[in-house]
Amino acid sequence: MKSKKCVAMLLAGGQGSRLGVLTSKIAKPAVPYGGKYRIIDFPLSNCTNSGIDTVGILTQYKPLELNDYVASGKPWDLNRTDGGVHILPPYHTAEGGNWYKGTANAIYQNLEFLERYNPEYVLILSGDHIYKMDYAQMLSQHIETGADCTIAVLDVSLEEASRFGIMNAHDDGTIYEFEEKPKVPKSTLASMGIYIFTWEKLKYYLTEDEKNPDSSNDFGKNVIPMMLSDNQLLKVFRFNDYWKDVGTVDSLWEANLDLLNPKIDLNLADKNWKIYSKNTGMPPQYISEDAQVENSLVTDGCEIFGKVDYSVLFKNVTVEEDAEVLYSLVMPGAVIKKGAKVQYSIIAENSIIEEGAVVGEEPNATGDENWGIAVIGDNLTVGKNSKITASQMITEDVKEGEEV
Amino acid sequence: MRTSSLAGLIFANSDDKLKKLTANRSMASVPFGARYRIVDFALSNLVNAGVTSVGIITKENYRSLMDHVGNGISWDLDRKNGGVYFIPPYYKRGVKRFSGTVSAIAGSTEYIEKCGADYIVLYDSHVIANIDLSAAFKQHKETGADITVVYRNGILPEKSTEKMILGLEDNRVKEITFSEESKETSFGIGVSIIGKDLLLKLVSEADEDGLTSFAREVIAEKISELKIYGFEHSEYVAVMDNTATYYEESMALLQSDVRKQLFNKKRPIFTKVRDGMPTRYGISASVKNCLIGDDCVIEGTVKNSILFRGARIGKGAVVENCILMQEAVIADGATLCNVIADKNVFVDENIVLKGTKEKLCFIDKNQTL
Repeated sequence: MKSKKCVAMLLAGGQGSRLGVLTSKIAKPAVPYGGKYRIIDFPLSNCTNSGIDTVGILTQYKPLELNDYVASGKPWDLNRTDGGVHILPPYHTAEGGNWYKGTANAIYQNLEFLERYNPEYVLILSGDHIYKMDYAQMLSQHIETGADCTIAVLDVSLEEASRFGIMNAHDDGTIYEFEEKPKVPKSTLASMGIYIFTWEKLKYYLTEDEKNPDSSNDFGKNVIPMMLSDNQLLKVFRFNDYWKDVGTVDSLWEANLDLLNPKIDLNLADKNWKIYSKNTGMPPQYISEDAQVENSLVTDGCEIFGKVDYSVLFKNVTVEEDAEVLYSLVMPGAVIKKGAKVQYSIIAENSIIEEGAVVGEEPNATGDENWGIAVIGDNLTVGKNSKITASQMITEDVKEGEEV
Repeated sequence: MRTSSLAGLIFANSDDKLKKLTANRSMASVPFGARYRIVDFALSNLVNAGVTSVGIITKENYRSLMDHVGNGISWDLDRKNGGVYFIPPYYKRGVKRFSGTVSAIAGSTEYIEKCGADYIVLYDSHVIANIDLSAAFKQHKETGADITVVYRNGILPEKSTEKMILGLEDNRVKEITFSEESKETSFGIGVSIIGKDLLLKLVSEADEDGLTSFAREVIAEKISELKIYGFEHSEYVAVMDNTATYYEESMALLQSDVRKQLFNKKRPIFTKVRDGMPTRYGISASVKNCLIGDDCVIEGTVKNSILFRGARIGKGAVVENCILMQEAVIADGATLCNVIADKNVFVDENIVLKGTKEKLCFIDKNQTL
């Protein structure tokens, strides 16, 4: 087999437990985003647009939906004869088998896969973030600087810095220290969880890390510090565009509504950097005579008879007469029945909000501390005239008239 | 390897019935319904009935059709066994370019023989419907028919072109006439099922005899010899006869029962994937009774209209009773009423363009106003 210059490994095994009911049946990278996408469309499309045609996807938690979605990789042009997309779940060998213990161990367990392609460089990605990035630029910086590892970083504010893994670097971009969620940050360069390693170095340090029984086999906690203490050359790659971790309900909600904010620089309409997704045979959207749709994103298959404002409607959503959807995300196939009101909420796939039900509350309706986005899990029914208060996470059907 | 026992043969070019819309493209690639080309309905109906091999007979202006269909990937027709076969005219010294359905089918003999199917669906591309072809095929086999003609029972529209009128007795076709009279009748909609061997035999005889029309000169003439059955399609059908029917049938999609019938969830209509983002409605948008494809940005007022993928409606612009095809840009403050805009037009700020229901205004492809 001819060798590849750069192979991407996409860590997609995370549960994303902070998303609660939204990831109770699917892995976080499969969570719907932006009307017609799933989170994993972003790293996969970035790969294709950056000229990377070989991607290993490491799955572990609830992989069914993700496997089905990625399938042959056709939507992202990753159905290649040479290379293409490969789903890599944990496996058994004659000596037994293990779950992926950490990010580094997941790659370690797939060294054989990488050896088949014998790449010069390996790009490590995660399936948790919304951003558009040209990995080819990062790769050329990695090659030019002769680094052993290049880590993409985002300049965050000082207050935010203690939530991230922080790279302390010299002016020339050479990293001298890594600090996980520092209480007193020395720098504001936050790791985006995107690494390019020179293949031989990656292989060596993953093998070394595996020998240490006390290691938690994590890139940030173990592999990067070990390389730093070995005086390897680690460089930052600065990224200045839109990047959002959609790890929590609030950040997922925000990242979706960011698409409606003209000041935010995430242009999904850019023909030179399309974000690809799996398309199914949906009819066009229909907006009725009495509908009122403003400041929103609406996808194929939607039928709107009510009012929609400041919201993102995913495919096949129905909003019936006199229903209102405000500041909310309504995921594929959900139905908002007559006179129901959905505000500051996330309605997951195929759930039904019955007539007259009210889901979510305005931020100033409750004491500020308790307020949050209300979430209705997938395939649930919220009964007639029921009421769901702010920050509730609904995992079971709600009866008619019930107040939760 | 075994392929499906049913294959499709689509006639991509009817004629120039749609005038400007078919000036530079075949009937099959005329845009319809905010995100489709007419051929999408034929291809999807065939695929939804389990067909894995489709031949598309083209005569002229077929570049846009080839671009749209490509290798058939959007319909899952990118296959090793079967798939999409384009059958363009084959020029050979001494051979005349085909002029009717008989010579068109005769020119496709090689495809019909090799596609591996025992039955062929003959499909005119100017028909828009969601037809349950697997039910039609089932009926064809159960009745032991030689030919099954899909028909609609209804009133022929005024100014329609001549249709095949069926005289039926318990679904058996006893009489075939051709008429354009606007009255209630059972008329063929240009889709029929026929056994492969019978088709090849009939066509080779007719071709030798120099006949032109397969429906008129072969099927109708041989009605006493052949066992012909009708299969009723009782849902929405649009037959593209002229620009007025094109406009009316497009606007019919604004009715919810028409959409339910045409976009039957069990038999989805597939089209070429464009990977645009969802449609964005701006703060000042006002949209009433519209069918809209994805990737549009709407900041103005749109009423009773069909917007294809990628249309842009600027602030203060008013669009009423219009069909705007792919990538139309209507700049701020422009007003369009009763307009059909072909692909990729640009209407500059504050321009006013008004047609009437009787006399629609037409903007040619790629035009800037």
